[in-house]
Amino acid sequence: MKAMILKEFRQLRRDRRTVAMLVAIPIVLLTVFGYAASFDIERIPTAVLGPAVGTTNPLVDTQPDVFEIVHVDPAGTADDAHDLLRDGKAIIAVVTGTPTTVYVDGTEIFAAQSALRQAGSLPDGVRVEVLFNPELSTANIMVPGLIGFVLLAVGTIITSLGVVKERAEGTIEQLAVLPLKPRDVILGKIAPYFLVGVLDLVLITVVGLLLFDVPFRGSILMFAVGGLLFLFVALGFGVLISTVSQSQGEAIQLAIMVMVPQILLSGMIFPLTSMPLGVRWISYCLPLTYFVQIMRGVFLKAAPFASLTIPYLILTLMAVAVFALAVLRFRRDLAPTGRRGAAEEVAA
Amino acid sequence: MTVVETRAVTRRFGSFTAVDAVDLEVGPGEVVGVLGANGAGKTTLMRMILGLLRPTSGSVTLFGEPPGRATRLRIGYVPQSLGLWRDLTAAENMEFSAGVFGVPPTDTPAGAGGRLVGNLSLGVQRRVAFAAALQHRPDLLILDEPTSGVAPLSRARLWEEIRAQAERGVAVLVTTHYMDEARQADRLILMARGTVVGRGSERDIVGSLEAVVVTTDRWEAAFGVIEDAGLAATLAGRALRVPGATTGEVGAALRAAGVDAEVTTGHATLEEAMVVAATS
Repeated sequence: MKAMILKEFRQLRRDRRTVAMLVAIPIVLLTVFGYAASFDIERIPTAVLGPAVGTTNPLVDTQPDVFEIVHVDPAGTADDAHDLLRDGKAIIAVVTGTPTTVYVDGTEIFAAQSALRQAGSLPDGVRVEVLFNPELSTANIMVPGLIGFVLLAVGTIITSLGVVKERAEGTIEQLAVLPLKPRDVILGKIAPYFLVGVLDLVLITVVGLLLFDVPFRGSILMFAVGGLLFLFVALGFGVLISTVSQSQGEAIQLAIMVMVPQILLSGMIFPLTSMPLGVRWISYCLPLTYFVQIMRGVFLKAAPFASLTIPYLILTLMAVAVFALAVLRFRRDLAPTGRRGAAEEVAA
Repeated sequence: MTVVETRAVTRRFGSFTAVDAVDLEVGPGEVVGVLGANGAGKTTLMRMILGLLRPTSGSVTLFGEPPGRATRLRIGYVPQSLGLWRDLTAAENMEFSAGVFGVPPTDTPAGAGGRLVGNLSLGVQRRVAFAAALQHRPDLLILDEPTSGVAPLSRARLWEEIRAQAERGVAVLVTTHYMDEARQADRLILMARGTVVGRGSERDIVGSLEAVVVTTDRWEAAFGVIEDAGLAATLAGRALRVPGATTGEVGAALRAAGVDAEVTTGHATLEEAMVVAATS
């Protein structure tokens, strides 16, 4: 047994990627769970509207540290409050007047719960209304995010395994000597995964709607565009991982390293508002963050395109960047004589 | 027209020169064998001919032009790893290959059709790879150790087919370190340490090279003495063969060790010529 243990340690020591994972993943998980994985709401962006904005505010005054005033508009109406919440510019909107109404964004479930707790001590005559997710259903906010998780899993893991298999079995060289254009190989290789991803997108959406009664209030076109953009990002990650992996094991390790931060930091599980700024900037670099914003906007808020322009724009840029980088790297495997390519590095 | 032509083709990886100024020509209907031990530079040369590697210097032309998509349309290539998709059936592999070249698929070798390639014997896999490479009637066949690991009968059939292709006018380039395969070629190129150290027929390459033949009852002791003297010996029955050595140096080493033996000379074989080229 001693010989066996020694052998395993020697092999483990030489497997640098696994050693890196053994060290990096606990640190990442500890950091993320310590800082980001919190349901405690420390600040709630709040808008105050209506003629009495300057007077005592029945809700904000209860905890001025928590309710951070981000928008004040004496001419604002209930419709404006609805728009502010829909566009994600505030989570709470207090419309002063008679009666004073506190609107709460129900898609920000923990912030909404926190606000509703405060609302219990509000004076009579103050009305509280939860918008977009009045039952504060967890399924309603989780299912749109889970669609992104499934697309990420299919797009990243399955695609990376499919492409790296060609390299591991030596058939990528066969593809390189066939009279195929690199573009044909890349598109031919990715197309089935893209179609599977589209099917998954539709399937999980339909199951989510039927099984969990998640409402779908927005535009199908916006849903489709968001889904396809995110699928391109996920496929791009998959191809990119395959170009730097020599085996399927390596590809899975890398795919996990890409997926874990997205699951934890995208706002799919833990609200962005409860994360410290130092961690939140990582969230803003992750494509799933924008996909979650788009899907919650489309499913629950019937958000128009104008209110989701920024997430769409960032997701488009990410899709173009990741996919282009992936295609360029994959192309190097297939057209080595055209430019200094990976095949040359392998031969060396 | 020459089908394959390399002129002083050289490939370096950092300070290591894998192929050094190799000239090679293959004409229509010719079977040319590139022979050499592992690390001789055969694979690097072949990868440059296929267009998978750029030469550091020198040139490669196929059908009078540099390797590219147009030349690939005229090449049938069977790598040592066969280049088949193991999770597709033989027929599906044939269909894919034919589809890429835009020709109708030909018949799959008998007994292979509907079975996954990964479940076929190596001999049948090689036949499938070969059949797939011939579907578009290529003008150049590049084969990397084409009959390695194949049973004698299957090997004979494969060479029969290679010969038939050559008679049809197809240029055939075979890289190998197996003597049986090398002997099937019309012309040989012997490579060692990246350079060409012999070319022509088997007789041309062996030339006047001789091997010292040591016959003794104490062959095990003799083997050790010869190895200790820094010479490469092979066992042929109970006789030892020492290619590239002289009877004087072998006899002296054996006498010094007190091993009685009859020391004569004989013509070296092709394999021995390759050993001498690789070790000298």
